[in-house]
Amino acid sequence: MKTDQQARPDGRGLRQSMSDLHTWVGLLLGWVLYAMFLTGTVSYFKDELSQWMRPELPAQSGVPDQAVVAQRVADELVTLVPGSPQWSLRLPDARNNSVYAFWRTAGAAPGQRGFGEGNFDPATGQTVSSRATLGGDFFYRFHFQFHYMPVVWGRWIAGIAAMFMLVAIVSGVITHKKIFVDFFTFRWGKGQRSWLDAHNALSVFGLPFHAMITYTGLVTLMALYMPWGQQAGIKTAADRQQLNAELSAFIQPGKPSGEAAPLASIEEMVRHAQERWGRDGVGRVTATHPGDAAARVAVARGDGGRVSMSPQYLEFEGTTGKLLAVHEGVGAAAETRGVLYALHLGRFSDSVTRWLYFLVSLAGTAMVGTGLVMWTVKRRQKLPDPARPHIGFHVVERLNIASIAGLSVAMAAFLWANRLLPETLADRANWEIHSFFIVWALTLLHGVLRPAKKAWVEQLWLAAALLALLPVLNAATTHRPFWRSLAEGDWVFIGMDLMCWALAALHAVLAVRTLRHQPKTRAARKPARETVNKPAGGAVLREG
Amino acid sequence: MIHLSSFILCLTGFAALAFAMDRPQHDLFGRSLPAPATVALRVGGAASLLGALGLLVTWQGWGLGLVMFSGHTSLGAGLVHGALIVQGRRAARPN
Amino acid sequence: MTSVAGRVRSVGPLVSRIAAALFGGYALAALASVAVLALPMSTPQAVLTGQLTSFVIYAAAVIWVFAVRSALRAWAGLLVVAAPLLLSAWSVW
Repeated sequence: MKTDQQARPDGRGLRQSMSDLHTWVGLLLGWVLYAMFLTGTVSYFKDELSQWMRPELPAQSGVPDQAVVAQRVADELVTLVPGSPQWSLRLPDARNNSVYAFWRTAGAAPGQRGFGEGNFDPATGQTVSSRATLGGDFFYRFHFQFHYMPVVWGRWIAGIAAMFMLVAIVSGVITHKKIFVDFFTFRWGKGQRSWLDAHNALSVFGLPFHAMITYTGLVTLMALYMPWGQQAGIKTAADRQQLNAELSAFIQPGKPSGEAAPLASIEEMVRHAQERWGRDGVGRVTATHPGDAAARVAVARGDGGRVSMSPQYLEFEGTTGKLLAVHEGVGAAAETRGVLYALHLGRFSDSVTRWLYFLVSLAGTAMVGTGLVMWTVKRRQKLPDPARPHIGFHVVERLNIASIAGLSVAMAAFLWANRLLPETLADRANWEIHSFFIVWALTLLHGVLRPAKKAWVEQLWLAAALLALLPVLNAATTHRPFWRSLAEGDWVFIGMDLMCWALAALHAVLAVRTLRHQPKTRAARKPARETVNKPAGGAVLREG
Repeated sequence: MIHLSSFILCLTGFAALAFAMDRPQHDLFGRSLPAPATVALRVGGAASLLGALGLLVTWQGWGLGLVMFSGHTSLGAGLVHGALIVQGRRAARPN
Repeated sequence: MTSVAGRVRSVGPLVSRIAAALFGGYALAALASVAVLALPMSTPQAVLTGQLTSFVIYAAAVIWVFAVRSALRAWAGLLVVAAPLLLSAWSVW
């Protein structure tokens, strides 16, 4: 029980209360955080994942000329969504072999969905003829807004979880401030200590990343979480426009003139931007009121090569192609926000930096995972009867299984569904997602029904098997098996297959280790220099 | 190429810093190294890390350079840490 | 182990602290994000500055609430910081 009012020696008191705070803040939303971390980690490769999930789209041998592609898709949109008040294209780049477009639909009735979206083939300009799938964007969106709930709810949950994470990081650092000094003198203990060591190691060497990613995560959605300053200070439409211009390159549609006039050459406008930012440096083309005399076109710079998401764009008069304005700088606070936003998404990365992001983020995932497991390991020793734990312990233990091992199974199942669901299935893209959640729910059921240790081992083996066989399934169901990818130098598919095998191996190792785990250890041992290397014995620690 | 050299600099830098500490010295050599050697390791390790930072920043500027640097240091420190653990466990195993 | 009154006495301050951290911390952060508008900079920049710093303030408030010796001190600390922020926020709302 917490003894709140007692005076304690200062240092010990502070560390103890920070330790308690760390434990409970970490546990309460730990499962949500684990899922956010893991899906966020794989989202660093979301574009590659999307390419893998649309195997019908041929591998891109080089980035096509963005100016030509932009014109092609713009022409297609004229016939596809006539009268749309606004559309926006994300042009292909080194990592994207399709053009993603979204548009507002003309004259949508109130309550009707006023937006549409689609992926287009850069070579033809037509809608891509691939299986219906959300691709890697599913993990990306799940990472900050979850699923089966209004987007805003999901984003609030993600925000609360991130705030808990921020507090967990700060309180963790205060609790263990010593570990910075003796980082390299850790010894690997046994039982509870080894979990603690793993948790500490993962936290310390990734600390700059973990702190950065948590804070910048909050920054990405700060207007939602902290709208008060905006409500107090931004009162007129002009104010709002001024603020928007600091944040995004999306130009807002004004009033249409009602007079029809075709768009001037989009190709020329993009050419102009290419001269400024390089051949592959254009990110997005947005048009407002295309086909109207009042049309405007914004050509925005891509995210590559600069650590900032602050808007940089050229604004053109739509009907003549005349350059109206160059937007290349924003205010200091807006630029700070742009840099923090970019740091979170990491889209500026070259492939080595992206791998660094991925690996350190994976360490962060493992940090959250080891923290969750540690909660049960620590408490198991204190249970009056380890064979019959109390209900709270039981719940935590089972949720750990489903949210750690089960999530791996479910994510692998999502990729299996992508290859196995028939292409003609109605609402196919959503059924891929339903498969993910059905499998995840099943792992929870399995975790509840089986003895804890068995459930861990079985689910880890299942994840390993699903991942290891995914390249086989890919070879059987597509025309892009591993050997052909290798022969053609198709690095997205080669990388995906190798990654599956590497992750399968990781899960297999975890399964073997969990199985072999000797539940004997000495309780709460101090890492004293003389005793560390002796074989541990003593109090029984049963581990699930 | 610059990525590789800065990674190696980070790795050797952290390895040097680790061996500048008493316990790893005992584990590996069975005794403390003389004080000048420890100081040299510490200075060399720090210089190595600074070298990596300098390399990355001159290559990509402060923004990208710092991001890459923190990635390489995290990975380098993690690997050194892992190696020390593996070494420690191997030494601890009864023969 | 303890009587009901004893339980309340030991749990009460904890509940109070949790409330101070969750809601008091958020209120303080929100207040700060508005108070920034009184600084001599353009409104959009001030709005963004307030949003950027609010999470740091929130986190610091939570740590403060659990670091000090009693729940009463925790609330008092929050109020002491809130007072000048409230004045400043009042001037711009």
